[in-house]
Amino acid sequence: MEQRSSKKTGGANRRKLRDVAIVLIACACGWFVMELEILGVRVLAPYFGSAVYVVTGSVIGVFLLSLSAGYMLGGWLSRKTNNKQILGINLMVAGAWLCAMPFFIEPVCDRIFNIGLDEKWGSLLAALILFGTPTLLLGTVSPTAVRLLTTRASDSGLNTGLVLALSTLASFAGCLVTAFYLVLFSMRLTICVSGAVLAALGATILLQAAVQAGRVLYQNDEVTRKEGSR
Amino acid sequence: MKNRILKVVLILTSCVAVFLQSLFIGVAIADSIGQLIYKKNSLYHRISVYQYATIVSLQFGRQQSVDVQSQIDMSNLRRHMLEYTRMSFCGLLYKPQPNRILVLGLGGGVIPREMQYYFPSLETHVVEIDPEVPAIAKKFFSFRENDKLKVHIADGRMFIKKQLRSDPVPKYDLIILDAFNSDYIPFHLMTKEFLTEVKGVLAEDGVVVANVFYSNRLFDAELKTFLAVFDRCQAFVGIDSGNAMLVAPGKTAPTLTVKEALAQAKILQQKHKLAFDMTTVAKQLKPDILPDPNAKVLTDDRAPVNWLKEQETNK
Repeated sequence: MEQRSSKKTGGANRRKLRDVAIVLIACACGWFVMELEILGVRVLAPYFGSAVYVVTGSVIGVFLLSLSAGYMLGGWLSRKTNNKQILGINLMVAGAWLCAMPFFIEPVCDRIFNIGLDEKWGSLLAALILFGTPTLLLGTVSPTAVRLLTTRASDSGLNTGLVLALSTLASFAGCLVTAFYLVLFSMRLTICVSGAVLAALGATILLQAAVQAGRVLYQNDEVTRKEGSR
Repeated sequence: MKNRILKVVLILTSCVAVFLQSLFIGVAIADSIGQLIYKKNSLYHRISVYQYATIVSLQFGRQQSVDVQSQIDMSNLRRHMLEYTRMSFCGLLYKPQPNRILVLGLGGGVIPREMQYYFPSLETHVVEIDPEVPAIAKKFFSFRENDKLKVHIADGRMFIKKQLRSDPVPKYDLIILDAFNSDYIPFHLMTKEFLTEVKGVLAEDGVVVANVFYSNRLFDAELKTFLAVFDRCQAFVGIDSGNAMLVAPGKTAPTLTVKEALAQAKILQQKHKLAFDMTTVAKQLKPDILPDPNAKVLTDDRAPVNWLKEQETNK
């Protein structure tokens, strides 16, 4: 009897830890989205000029568009039973994209410039090609996070509010830290390191999901074995 | 209760006092450059034009600062009111007879206007990002466009990239980089990659002249970047202002000693009847200037220009 209750609190603690981890992942994604957005303007300026409003407009526009698509996709994916694995894979792909990005900034922007597109359409297209995919993938995180946190329908609003508030707060921090301090470092290196962190997060999620699946399998085995021996 | 009222009254009066004081400071600064005669908010700047007697000043950005972008004397257009416009002629010491020049940054248009005055056959291209600026230069600063002197509304870097892709690539004998104001510095016009593009449109015997600020760490970083791209770089350091000119000669253009610069200045002075003293400019040459050993080359990847500018050095 006593053993059982301690097991129960252990489970509750583990659940709490898991919830905190999910919220932290959503926060990390909020941070990286804004970091990438601020750096995006720096990435494009050498090719499309500092017609500040044009380049900034293109970058912000592309981010909003990709996030919108990401939210939709994330909402749809969150209903799958293996949503956790999908989350991990999405983060890994986004991370890999960021790690590779520094190597294709120049060829992409040069080619677009050579086509003869002006700073408006050129910067928009470049922003879409470079930042569209990773931002979309990062956008899928929030809906999945809400799904993973929610066990009762009545909590869904609260969980949505929590995830949105904290990840947006992290976006705010990412914004300021990038604009004020990270610009002192190599832009390419910053993007690469961010990509590596994202990929590591994704890998951790996948690993955790695999371990959990293994545990469930093992438990099921145990149960069937016990039933068999009986 | 009484105490509280007293406190509120005290706070209010001090607020009013501070406000009035700031007003007076504003007036005092504006007084030194005259009355505000024109104001325009463009996409890029808050543009203000001030007039004091015959002196007209152009200001971008903060109104209560003493930094002016351009200044002219209406009664004598040949007079260089600001040291840097006179100093920007230093490129002529290296290339005394230019045919084509490129100026990035129009402002009041003093540099291209004066260049064309002394060299009437000169073909001049000016690149200005702000579409409002040319009209203001024409209205208040006696700037005129003609078949030889053209203003292009574009980002300097994109303009040069486009030139590089035309066939044949047009070459300039003199390239003057002056697209900065004291508040905002476009990083993409200072990097190694940008200067490499500039080098691509520079004639082999031509020179690049860049207007920079002298006493901060950005100066060292720029000097280092110029050296990385052009191998050679000399500087003319202002006496009355915090400005300096970095001069990077093309492959076959010379580097000068102060003596050579002075001799060339005297020749130019006589030949073109310059209305200002070119030897003063020549004397400002620092032929063997070297960057701080800790300075780093500015690249598209890393160019914390505004941060470096805030770091004063005691030179």
